[in-house]
Amino acid sequence: MRNFNVRDVLVGACSLAAGAALIAGVPSAARAQVNGVTPTEISIGAIGALTGPLAFIGAPGRDSLSMAFDEINAKGGVCGRKLHLDFEAASSPAESIAAAKKLVEEDKVFIFVLASGSTGAAAAADYVRQVGVPTYNLYGSTPIIRNPFAKNVFNGAVVPVEVSAGALIKMFSDGGYKPKKFGILAGTYAFPQATLKAAEDIFKRDKADFTVEQFDIGARDFTSQLVSLQRQNVDSILVLGSFSEAGFAIKQAREMGMTNIRWVVDGSAVSSAIVPILGNADGIRGYYNAPAFPGQTPATREFEARLKKFLGSVPQGRPSIYDLIGYGSGYVVAEAIQATHCQLTRGNLINAWSHLKDAGPTKRGGLDVTFPESYTPTDHQGVYRIGAAIVKDGKWRVYRVINKP
Amino acid sequence: MLGELGFVLLAGVKFGALYALAALGLVVVHKATKTVNFAHGAFAMLGAFASFLIVVKWQWAYWAAYLLVPPAIGLVAAALEFVVLRRLRQADMFTVVIATIFLGIALAEAFRLTYNTELLAVPALFTGPPLVVEGLFITRDTAWVIAGALATAVACIILFRYGRFGRGMRAMAANIRGAQLCGYSIDGVYMLAWFLGGALAGLTGVFIAPVTGVSVDLAISIITAGFVAGVIGGFDSPQGAIVGGLLLGIAESLAAAYVSSAMKNCVSFLLLFVVLMWRPEGLFAERAGRSV
Repeated sequence: MRNFNVRDVLVGACSLAAGAALIAGVPSAARAQVNGVTPTEISIGAIGALTGPLAFIGAPGRDSLSMAFDEINAKGGVCGRKLHLDFEAASSPAESIAAAKKLVEEDKVFIFVLASGSTGAAAAADYVRQVGVPTYNLYGSTPIIRNPFAKNVFNGAVVPVEVSAGALIKMFSDGGYKPKKFGILAGTYAFPQATLKAAEDIFKRDKADFTVEQFDIGARDFTSQLVSLQRQNVDSILVLGSFSEAGFAIKQAREMGMTNIRWVVDGSAVSSAIVPILGNADGIRGYYNAPAFPGQTPATREFEARLKKFLGSVPQGRPSIYDLIGYGSGYVVAEAIQATHCQLTRGNLINAWSHLKDAGPTKRGGLDVTFPESYTPTDHQGVYRIGAAIVKDGKWRVYRVINKP
Repeated sequence: MLGELGFVLLAGVKFGALYALAALGLVVVHKATKTVNFAHGAFAMLGAFASFLIVVKWQWAYWAAYLLVPPAIGLVAAALEFVVLRRLRQADMFTVVIATIFLGIALAEAFRLTYNTELLAVPALFTGPPLVVEGLFITRDTAWVIAGALATAVACIILFRYGRFGRGMRAMAANIRGAQLCGYSIDGVYMLAWFLGGALAGLTGVFIAPVTGVSVDLAISIITAGFVAGVIGGFDSPQGAIVGGLLLGIAESLAAAYVSSAMKNCVSFLLLFVVLMWRPEGLFAERAGRSV
């Protein structure tokens, strides 16, 4: 057995100390990566469903963010760095939290983007508030991500339900129409229920005559609800649900002879996919979170062409509003980073984002397909404007813009 | 009031006819093979998707969907029987049931991965003004779905009762060894049963596509309704499948209209529970006894 002398012990201790110093030095060497920023790249993490019933939100979110980042990178990137999207698929609340933790704690992204609708946004809300990562909520209208206010959470193009409900109710009176009795046909799941509550509050405040019927998620038979609405002689119906639910409800109402009804549908039902369900969808109104539909303006037509080129082929129902918002939001992210004057810390980013004015694609040569976003230190809702839309000749089009109702 | 009740009943019969067709496919497979095919809903979803491809994507005539889809889905079902289920024939029933459940999930998820969209809409076969009977609006499409689905179901019953295949299935169900001694091939009857079950699922898909659209959820909703209708009617009785389907559709519609819309889904399980408690063999179960 070997005997240790003092010299050996000292050498060993020095070696250990040197090793420890080396290990301790690793984080400092990699510090540039701690917040997802390297000399060549800025990492932006995003979550959303790519499979399952909410994939119609997540997949466009991923695709259009990627397309926007590609365009920005092709023009040199931001602060001399390329934007890199780390997208994690997450469908359920549990998956959303796990994906958020992975992106923030393991991948250490600079910005965390919720491209997941209300389900993921609600699930991750507490976590992002707790860790303070700059968070950009693209699609979630849930109040859970908005309240209580957090200085690191920014809500983009999707307006709060109080705003969208007000706009929807205003649309009933467009063109001089005078509703006598309102019917609300609302899904029993989270998003329609949030809008339902806001709409009921407005109807009660205005002392309007209204009645409510509800349906389960994915419903295809609305006979019972429509019979009840018919019995109560409603002449104006607000449908709060997806385009498939709204489409089949309206189709069935027509089959029952309910032809003189003004239909207004929720933003989630404002999709080109409602038209083939109904055949003739002309006259149906709803709100849109962008100033124009795909195909309505040169910018949106160009967007469609670029998306097709980017993806190879565009699935049915796309480009959707989620494509437009995702694309516009990609540019808002770039604007926010640029506004830090390239002092790329999360604190600086949150501060710069809180003072953004009219951010969007146009400032960086992108396509003008979304409402510009503005923020203040006390109000992190980027957009309050909403497009009032109608189906005309089988196509949706925004016919006026409603400013904060 | 009569008009209102008429609407409710009409909707119930329309969905009931579709449930009956779905249940009939389950009964065909079960009658011959004693297997409850939980992939049946996924077969119907594939049928609906195929009709979307034919009618919307390729813009072919609607009749092509009615002609081509049932045999195509039948072949898919027969192929799965040959590749997967034949190897499990000696396995216990639990294993086979699990296999069909996961086949259904695999088919549904394969569809979702290749066609990732919330819903694909398929136009109705018939358009034009509705028929008005005593204030009751009956669209041509509703009339077609009810008449077409029920006529198909009745034709199947006649085929099973008097056709050679039907005799073979009944013989297999009664005594496999005896049926073999009478010259029936197990492999042949099983494969034919899966083909016919698949074809009925495909036809259900073609009928249901304009009514509900095509989505992954369709697989679940069809298997649920078909299974409940089959249990109500008696899982070995084609007539029972039709009555069970209609009963289920009408009960759902009445409950939703006159009790609560939340009762619509609940009533099917309530009905299932009551039948299992009161008459577990189903309303039209074939008699197993014999005269001595």
